[in-house]
Amino acid sequence: MTRVAVAAVAGVLLLLGGCHKAATRQAASGRPVRGGTLVFAADREPICLDPHVGGNMPQVFVAAQYLDSLVSMDEHGAIGPWLATGWEVSPDGLTYLFHLRHDVVFTDGTPFTADAVKANLDHMANPATQSSTAGGYIRQYAGTTIVDRYTAAVHLSAPYAAFLDVLAQGFLGIESPAALRRPRDENCQSPVGSGPFRIVRWDRQNEVVLERNPAYHWGPPTARHTGPAWLDRIEWKIVPEASVRFGSLQAGEVDVIDDLPPEDETPARSNPDLSLLASDRPGNPTNGTLNTRRAPFDDIRVREAFIRSADIEGALGSVFFHHYRRAGGPLSPTTPDYSADFEHSKDYDPHRAALLLDQAGWTGRDADGYRTRNGRRLVVHVPVAATMWEADRNLWEQVQATERASGFDMRLEPASEAAVYAREGAWNYDLILGYWNTNTPDVLRIIFSSQFLGAAGVAGSHQNASGFSDPAFDALAQQALGTPDPAQRAAIYHRMQAIVASQQLQITTYPQTTRLGIYRTAHGVRLEPSLRVTSLYDAWVTK
Amino acid sequence: MSDTSPFPTAPAAPPAASPDRLHVLARRILSRCLGSVGVLLAAATVSFLAMHMMPGDIVSAILGGPAADPTPQTVAAAVREYGLDRPLPVQYGLYLDRLLHGNLGTSFSQHLPVIAVLRAELLPTLELAASALVLAWLLALASVLGTVRRRSWLSALGSGLETVGAALPQFWLGLLLLWLFAFTIHLLPPAGSDSVAALVLPTVALAVPLGGFLAQVTREAFEIALDQPFVLTARARGLGDWSVRTRHVLRHALLPGISLSNWAVGALIGNAVVIETIFSRKGIGRQLVLGVSSQDMPLTIGIVLLVSLTYVVAGFLTDALYVLVDPRLGARR
Repeated sequence: MTRVAVAAVAGVLLLLGGCHKAATRQAASGRPVRGGTLVFAADREPICLDPHVGGNMPQVFVAAQYLDSLVSMDEHGAIGPWLATGWEVSPDGLTYLFHLRHDVVFTDGTPFTADAVKANLDHMANPATQSSTAGGYIRQYAGTTIVDRYTAAVHLSAPYAAFLDVLAQGFLGIESPAALRRPRDENCQSPVGSGPFRIVRWDRQNEVVLERNPAYHWGPPTARHTGPAWLDRIEWKIVPEASVRFGSLQAGEVDVIDDLPPEDETPARSNPDLSLLASDRPGNPTNGTLNTRRAPFDDIRVREAFIRSADIEGALGSVFFHHYRRAGGPLSPTTPDYSADFEHSKDYDPHRAALLLDQAGWTGRDADGYRTRNGRRLVVHVPVAATMWEADRNLWEQVQATERASGFDMRLEPASEAAVYAREGAWNYDLILGYWNTNTPDVLRIIFSSQFLGAAGVAGSHQNASGFSDPAFDALAQQALGTPDPAQRAAIYHRMQAIVASQQLQITTYPQTTRLGIYRTAHGVRLEPSLRVTSLYDAWVTK
Repeated sequence: MSDTSPFPTAPAAPPAASPDRLHVLARRILSRCLGSVGVLLAAATVSFLAMHMMPGDIVSAILGGPAADPTPQTVAAAVREYGLDRPLPVQYGLYLDRLLHGNLGTSFSQHLPVIAVLRAELLPTLELAASALVLAWLLALASVLGTVRRRSWLSALGSGLETVGAALPQFWLGLLLLWLFAFTIHLLPPAGSDSVAALVLPTVALAVPLGGFLAQVTREAFEIALDQPFVLTARARGLGDWSVRTRHVLRHALLPGISLSNWAVGALIGNAVVIETIFSRKGIGRQLVLGVSSQDMPLTIGIVLLVSLTYVVAGFLTDALYVLVDPRLGARR
């Protein structure tokens, strides 16, 4: 309630405020300028600056400024060199031999060698690190042997064709082994990398300050320049209130903001002082996953009826003002091996929904207009975390309305984040809301294979939230990881997408997206392709 | 209300401190301290129980995040590290024991000792609460001294402004101030905790509603005090209007407001989250919300204890202020 009111008042006030400073400063020249400070306003604060620990998006946003990765990924999904100049994969797919750059030094003076590769992978895999994301991505990791100072052999317990892809993600960035030897919580405060900037200070709930690494000359091939970063300094401010973030941007108090609020996107596009940098992230789109383990969604007809009763296009239009595109399939369009064939396989179709519900025996109607079977109402329980983004909440409220028209009593049940996890762990839901950002179609294995049904996650939780279990699908997922040929692998992932779409396991809404608002003082801001994470390495400021 | 108060200006000879009187005083202080310890213990117990009765699992919140994918070993390590596999009474006993040793534990959501979090957040919170309280009192006093029983339009204006001020929502005022002073005329920074300038707007946003509230209470007491016989006496002694108001009437009229300030200090610290969020300020309020939503028990209990402690300290201070200000207590001293 309060947040809605805040947003409404702020929207009006800040719109007015934006008009006053249309006067021109100097025109932005196309040539980068060395020096200066870029002020970035982020919506959320990392819980730890080391992205190996835990591992949520705010962590990787900061990590991309001070860490390098072993390999890079370009916008077409192709893997390129970075800290590793080259690699060879053994025929059985179990050993990756990495040849490393000889000239890289961490900002604490530690040289980058094969020891560092071993120390980092060991650190991610070590349970004491409490690595949810990075550690989860390298469960096949069996150990590293140091062949020589600049050659590391990484051993896996099973073939893992997505290994290089996940290594390109900032979550698996390479840190100074000397810094990693400190206690975990100390490393959280002041981690050390080899990236274009180094962390100088972290003032909680206020800002992270980074300064240029003057020695940097080992940027990824995806960068637009070589040598040290242009900026002297980054002030990475935490500004949680969306309207204040946008107001600060309009007033030029900050140079770049992330998570541009949907309601401000139209004013941002028409404001000559501002530009928008937006890109959809790869992975599993923002979704509601249906629990197939209990009624009513143990019946595929009811699942399809529910999915076809959700007018996602209409909801996206009213909540995001037509700025966000629909993602209809199990993979976001920017994911490697994505197929467009499943974009419209589950479109809004209330007539078909009614037919399916009749077939499934949900033929009665109670006094409130909801469908019933044997006197029981058709109820869908949806736990909703209190921390959920306002726009997402509005989106699901819209869905709730069209579901009601079909006779579903869809209940959005607010709870703390921890309580939602607990319900997830106990399979106590019919629909669970989520997303998964990753740069590989192997995400299908994580969220739909039976390998991730059990005690894989926290507190007996599971990454496969649908409860879907199909040996044929599992076999395909394993086969894909053991298939080095890209075309063959793409064919397998196509079959996996087809299975997921036909099984009616998710309502997918829109791709997760990075949306930056940029004031005219900032230039050259780039999105690092693997996860569409902001990179300020090429950025410069004119002020 | 006692109408027969002695004149506060009449200096009373301080009575000799008899051993009996010291004894009474010591007993009062002791019982007050014991009461405070009881309050703190109750606060710790209630918050401990509340966190455990909340639905949800603590381990998942430690390793949380929508995209979390930890290994079973990671989960086991976390359970071991935080002692979450021990029975509840044991966890509680261990916790009290550590509290007695001044060890508030580690905030698992922040990866920091709780003490370090409190140390980092307390000063900005106290700065804001103190500056808001001072400004609120200045506004209240200006309105009361300047407008009560003046010309009728002035009195009505003061009373009206107080009502409007007390009714203003803090977040609305905060956004209005931001728009005007930070985004439009660029006089003050919109966000941060680093400078005195950054303190101004959040202070005003908190102080105006509180000031209106304090002024309303003080105005009523002030009007009652103005009707007391001692006012007439004071005027008869030839004192000017300003002196009567500030030296005599105000001392009576301040008392309800001082009582309210005790509550206001706790409220300013515990409920500052909206203003802290709008102005992107560091502070206890935001930490408390974070701690609760992630079920970070050590952090939440640490903050609850700290807020309880500020209530207790504020209680001591307002008692002392009461004694200093109240003309009757002063005379008897």
